[in-house]
Amino acid sequence: MSDRLRFLKSIGVKLLGGGVVGIILVGVAKGLSFPPVFQAMFFIYGMLGAAVYILLDAPALRPLSGLPALMALVAFYVIISGVYITGASLLPQYDPEDEKGKIDKLLKAKRAATEQGKAEELLARTKALSEKAEAIMQRLQALGGSAIAVAPPGADSAKPSGMPSTASADLVALGKEQWELQECYNCHKLFGQGGKKRGPEMDNIGNMMSPEQMREKILDPMSWMTEGFEKEFRKKKMPDKYKELMDEKEIMAVVAYLSTLKDPSVNTPKSVKPN
Amino acid sequence: MTTKGQRIMKSWQRRLFVLFGLLGLLTVFGTTAYAQVPAPPPPGQFPYTGNRTAVWIVGQLHILFAAFILGAPIFVVISEWLGYRKQDPRYDRLAREVTKVTVILYSMTALTGGLFIFVLLATYPQFTTWLINHFFMIFAVIYPLLFIAETIVLYVYFYTWDALKGEKKGRHIALGVLLNLIGTITLFVIDGPTSFMNTPAKAEGVSLVEYMQTATLWDKVNNFSWMPLNLHRLVGNVTFGGFITGLIAAYMYMGARSDEERAYYDWMGFVGNLIGVGASLFLPFMGYVLSYEQCDYDASMCPYMMADHLSMFFEMQGVMVGLIFLASNYYIWLSMKRIEGVEQVRMSFLTLLVLVALPVVMTYVWTIFPVPDPASLAVLIPMLLAPAILNRVIPPLRRLTVSSRTVIKVGFLMIVIGNAIWMTPHAFVATQALATEELELPSDWGFLALMPAKNSAAFTLVFVTVINYILYNRAIKRGTIKWGQIDFASQFALIFLAFSAIWTMGLMGAVRSLLKKYFHVYNLVPDFTAESFTPTLAYSAWWVTGITLVFYIIVSFGIVVTLWPAKDKEQVAAVKTAPAGAE
Repeated sequence: MSDRLRFLKSIGVKLLGGGVVGIILVGVAKGLSFPPVFQAMFFIYGMLGAAVYILLDAPALRPLSGLPALMALVAFYVIISGVYITGASLLPQYDPEDEKGKIDKLLKAKRAATEQGKAEELLARTKALSEKAEAIMQRLQALGGSAIAVAPPGADSAKPSGMPSTASADLVALGKEQWELQECYNCHKLFGQGGKKRGPEMDNIGNMMSPEQMREKILDPMSWMTEGFEKEFRKKKMPDKYKELMDEKEIMAVVAYLSTLKDPSVNTPKSVKPN
Repeated sequence: MTTKGQRIMKSWQRRLFVLFGLLGLLTVFGTTAYAQVPAPPPPGQFPYTGNRTAVWIVGQLHILFAAFILGAPIFVVISEWLGYRKQDPRYDRLAREVTKVTVILYSMTALTGGLFIFVLLATYPQFTTWLINHFFMIFAVIYPLLFIAETIVLYVYFYTWDALKGEKKGRHIALGVLLNLIGTITLFVIDGPTSFMNTPAKAEGVSLVEYMQTATLWDKVNNFSWMPLNLHRLVGNVTFGGFITGLIAAYMYMGARSDEERAYYDWMGFVGNLIGVGASLFLPFMGYVLSYEQCDYDASMCPYMMADHLSMFFEMQGVMVGLIFLASNYYIWLSMKRIEGVEQVRMSFLTLLVLVALPVVMTYVWTIFPVPDPASLAVLIPMLLAPAILNRVIPPLRRLTVSSRTVIKVGFLMIVIGNAIWMTPHAFVATQALATEELELPSDWGFLALMPAKNSAAFTLVFVTVINYILYNRAIKRGTIKWGQIDFASQFALIFLAFSAIWTMGLMGAVRSLLKKYFHVYNLVPDFTAESFTPTLAYSAWWVTGITLVFYIIVSFGIVVTLWPAKDKEQVAAVKTAPAGAE
């Protein structure tokens, strides 16, 4: 009984110790500008340390056999299974729906090139045409024959006056989308967000490279070397897969998007032709 | 004797019949699946799980069984050899009992392997056919032949245990070596297509599609990640086999009815844990080599793993690695508690200092001289050897010692610290796109998320474990081990280790597969199905747990069916359980 009391007392002391260490860690982390989520992690580690020391000094477990041993085993499995599932579920999760949309866009061209894709496209076109025909028939029936003369000829082909700028804006928007789809942000920081130290920040790339140079770099990463990233260049850190993953229009779109990035306040380093 | 022989032959025939029957079924149905039919029906759809998860479940189960039947024979034959050399029957008994379980699980490996092919052909017929055609010789000739050869050698090895003893023991051990040789070649062969899916062979200046038209079978097999995957799986399988041996020992210890049995299974648990932990010390580095090669193949894989979609999977891996190291060292702690005279064991204070300084110094050195720069070794090796050298050069330093209890307790603190470093991500986000300042490490502390810090954390965990085993070794030399009197909690530690090792294997298997993103073969064969997205960690954890439990139930059943009846029949007393100098 006294052993048990002593152990209970030691649990209290260790939990208190772990709590104090945890609080000190939180204080230090706060002082060093660690975000709250990291402070929480350090506190948890303080308490984990306490739990480990409680376990080390715990009295010996009474041997079990037969049914009690079996029940203890089942309970043990249930607990660790629950802890692992809960632990994994508590970590940040993302929404797979976001990725599904991305994959659809990324594989659109490849899917269209397959036999199944071609068949699907034909079916989709047929469906769209029949829906359109049905809609026209309904309009004709509702408005009478004069509607044919009233309706503007070739409404679909009517173009707004600012066509060149709209097309350019569309291309830039497509380039921005490609930036996200190809996950360029994993290595290049832009607008303060994205990967660190693997590749140069891109906010001022429009002032540092011409569109043709950017195109060349994307298609052949070894064609241009960025100052300050010599080691990454030597290790071929930039993948040479984009010429296979992207079509010409998508590459031009990314170039168009990057060409609009002209923020001189950000130090985008200069790129040079390698020797 | 004749009756027993007949019974053995019947059992032998029955098992071979089941295996060859499965292979036959596979051939018949496989041929049917490949037969040219005018209009193939659309791929079937698994209810509830979907096709991708169904393939995941069957594939993972197959890999778990395969890992055990390939990993266990490695230490089984070493154990048999040790028993022969030391004339200690415990080693022979351990080898034989683990082989018994291996034989049962071998049937499960064949069964799940056949099921895996059926499920793949039914759900992903086009891709499966594409892959089989690219590795035709492997799937149609080499792999089946190796599998048949391994089946025959395994059964011959098991059923000649009694026949090849005494002077003939050497022949039996040679059979075991042959079994391992075939097993290892089988692993290396099947790793070809597996690693190819992650890092398909490529050549400078040629597109992947073009290169595939001219690449030879060897070009495809010998891809970037093939050898690292071979080594990672080989070491992983031994680890896995060791922990499953610990699990077998724990079950049998719990059901033991005599002190002799308890003493034997206590010893067996210790050996299983020693093998599991010993091999696992190499695993972080094997894993590092594998990811290094994958990143070398395509640098965008690295951020995808460590900072993007899979970053939290690695966070969970960090949790698991920390728990495995805590549990294995806890087992050593409990093992030492039952050694009389352990209090005499002491260690140099300088070693303790090195232990405490290790993560900081290593992070700093590897930041200046990144791996594999050998300059880092010029600093780190002298530091690690400093206690031994200084103790020799300055004898009074030898008097500065601390108790083993203190060293182990400080070691646990260092495991917690090492794991905290391992677990510190660059940002607590599920994808890099969601990273904001409120969730990211301050830029001054960004190094905590980089490889030098992670490597030093891994090395700290390994170093602590090595120190603990050195202490344990000293303790058993100076003290007396009381086999069979270990704290009962240790059996739960063994069970926990086996469960956690299997869970981690499942998690990291999912990571390896998910690394292909929305491709069946990375950048080469896209997965056009609706299930090609990355599942969430929570979803994955449910399935990994489910698969682990199913595997556990089958293995537990196998252990009980195989060893429980034998336990009653075999006279344990015939085996000398206590080593010289032990009670």
